[in-house]
Amino acid sequence: MELNSIKDAFDRVTKKQKVSSSKSQEAIEQISQEIDLALSRIQSATPQPDHNVILSELKAKLKEMAPLGQLEGPQKELNLALSKYTKLLEKQFNPDISKSYRNVDFDFHTVNQIIASHLYRENMFDIGDCFVNEARVEAVVDKKTHFLEMYRILESMKSRDLAPALKWAAVNHDKLQQNGSDIELKLHRLQFVEILQHGSRDEALKYIRTYIAPFANQHFPEIQKLMACILWAGKLESSPYTDLLSPAHWVKLAHELAQQFCNLVGESIQSPLSVTVAAGDQGLPTLLKLMNVMAGKKQEWQCMKQLPVPVDLDQDFQFHSIFVCPVSREQASEDNPPMLMSCGHVLCKQSITKLSKNNSTRPFKCPYCPTEVQVGQCRKLCF
Amino acid sequence: MDPLPNGNNVAAAPPPPSSSSSKLTESLKLEHQLLRVPFEHYKKTIRANHRLVEKEVSAVISALPHSADHDDAIHHLNSLVSRLQGLKRKLEDGSRAERLQAQRCRARLDHLESADGDNISEWNNTRLKRILVDYMLRMSYYDTATKLAESSNIQDLVDIDIFYEAKKVIDALHNKEVAPALAWCADNKSRLKKFKSKFEFQLRLQEFIELVRNENNVQAVIYARKYLAPWAATYMKEFQKVFATLAFTSNTGCEIYKVLFEPKQWDYLMDQFKQEFCRLYGMTLEPLLNIYLQAGLSALKTPFCYEDDCTKEDPLSQESFRKLAMPLPFSKQHHSKLVCYITKELMDTENPPLVLPNGYVYSTKALEEMATNNNGKITCPRTGLVCNYTEVTKAFIS
Repeated sequence: MELNSIKDAFDRVTKKQKVSSSKSQEAIEQISQEIDLALSRIQSATPQPDHNVILSELKAKLKEMAPLGQLEGPQKELNLALSKYTKLLEKQFNPDISKSYRNVDFDFHTVNQIIASHLYRENMFDIGDCFVNEARVEAVVDKKTHFLEMYRILESMKSRDLAPALKWAAVNHDKLQQNGSDIELKLHRLQFVEILQHGSRDEALKYIRTYIAPFANQHFPEIQKLMACILWAGKLESSPYTDLLSPAHWVKLAHELAQQFCNLVGESIQSPLSVTVAAGDQGLPTLLKLMNVMAGKKQEWQCMKQLPVPVDLDQDFQFHSIFVCPVSREQASEDNPPMLMSCGHVLCKQSITKLSKNNSTRPFKCPYCPTEVQVGQCRKLCF
Repeated sequence: MDPLPNGNNVAAAPPPPSSSSSKLTESLKLEHQLLRVPFEHYKKTIRANHRLVEKEVSAVISALPHSADHDDAIHHLNSLVSRLQGLKRKLEDGSRAERLQAQRCRARLDHLESADGDNISEWNNTRLKRILVDYMLRMSYYDTATKLAESSNIQDLVDIDIFYEAKKVIDALHNKEVAPALAWCADNKSRLKKFKSKFEFQLRLQEFIELVRNENNVQAVIYARKYLAPWAATYMKEFQKVFATLAFTSNTGCEIYKVLFEPKQWDYLMDQFKQEFCRLYGMTLEPLLNIYLQAGLSALKTPFCYEDDCTKEDPLSQESFRKLAMPLPFSKQHHSKLVCYITKELMDTENPPLVLPNGYVYSTKALEEMATNNNGKITCPRTGLVCNYTEVTKAFIS
């Protein structure tokens, strides 16, 4: 796509429009002047004018000028530029992406719920409330509460107040341990550095003993390092541990906290609406090409159970393992699971059944290597 | 699979380009509406201004007096001068409007140009907000749309004013008034004619029905003669059907005519207006959000999404997304794509899948790390089975 040529075409439009516009103004000015002239001639004292003659002269003059005729040329050029630009847009862009839309039951109440949850998740609580009101959305109160709490904690962290975060971590201590997260320790460490910055060696020591020592089993080297920091209470900048002061820690930790928070309340880390729309953006070009090829088969488009072509998405959108049997090209399922053969190659169960010619006692040859495979030795795989 | 017309076998369609810049180009190609709508608005203003000039100038020229007495002539000419002054003033306003609209067209071109590899996630974020505003405007949630546009500073990238223009007509139709709708038709007469639109005819038919409903039969006939007759030749059948309602009253039992008196005819008119409006401005008929959502849901939909242990990161693990995706087709893969349960990374030749004695599969990277941290022991996170790293076998997936 040539954005530059589109911009040039638009510049041409505005140029022609300026020409046409100033021509109009010129013509109006000219008419005004002729009328003014006629007026002043009629109103002059001497010689006594015959106003009818002046009027007919004015009429003739204006007819000769043909102001509307003057405007035709520039207007034509402008129209040409306008239609060229429209055609350019239609050519360089996909003029109708709604071709890929299927007229199926697409309940707008559900869509509204999704939008409301998204707005709350993105810290747009006022807009979310306005939307819930205007669209009369139901059943999103839970999400709102969750995210309100999360942003409260994060806002406090922005102003270097770790208290709500620490409280949250303490309350969810067990679950966090279960998930293998060390965020509670990280929060305490940050708090420790803050205390140290304010110079109180005793307070820092007390803090380590109370809050950080319990993590000693799993993080001893880290704790030793923190103990050493006490020597530089109030002047960490001149210690070998200055990187602990970096504001990047706060940003990173806030991010990690958001992730863990979402984990604990059963939410995804990224907004599902964002993910789906991004996937749609990647998939639309393929779907539109497909729709073009299938033009006229609207019914088939509406009712298909599976897309006939793959839609390539980025790695980020790969949430499940899909096994495609290299022999039958079918996707594995509960009824047709992937099976590992003794040679290490994998086929789906139905392909194996076919290759062994339904005889489960006779070995068959793997299609990819010279190994003879026993059907009974094939193992079902779980990805 | 049978080859489709012109010899293309859909099953063998070439894979889309994988480089990120061509993906970006494909993404930008979807933005026709973004550029077209303000441009149509711009064209409309230009046309309106030009019509104004033509009308006023020819009126002035033809209003020149032939002969009159002295004072009348002066008076007459003065009135023409002030008429031209009035025209100049109106044109100033018109020019200002044209400039603003041209600016908006440029702002959108600049926005498309600003999308590049570095800021792509922010650009995508903005796109989502634009799409949400478009949805809210179409669903008539004007307050939220305005708030969202303002807070994200995307007023130049959305078409709130254009939808407000539609709102006037829609609200009036909701109140069973056709006047604004008819005014809109007059405003856009030439373009509606080009599209062979019969919307104006349908509005006139409804007004006729209302006259019949109120038993103003004489008025109805006069109305029909003036406003329906010009359309009758093109739409004879419809004209005859509606005209025949004169013979019935609004509480007729006859089904064919009863339906014409029902209030849902007004809903039909509102839908019709929305369609014509979108077509005129180059907007998609469906909200952009629905189009992107359907495409995304289909691309993401696999049978595994509906299982209980589907990862929370998959949007289709959520009830609302599952519901929307129900009538949509599943995605298709031609090649295996395997994702490690532990690291969520791709298992390919660089990171081959390893099989535990119980048939569960994990990536080499995950199991190596686990073995290193646990004295060579592997614990299957899903079944709890413990075994040695030496007991896993390699699987070869093509």
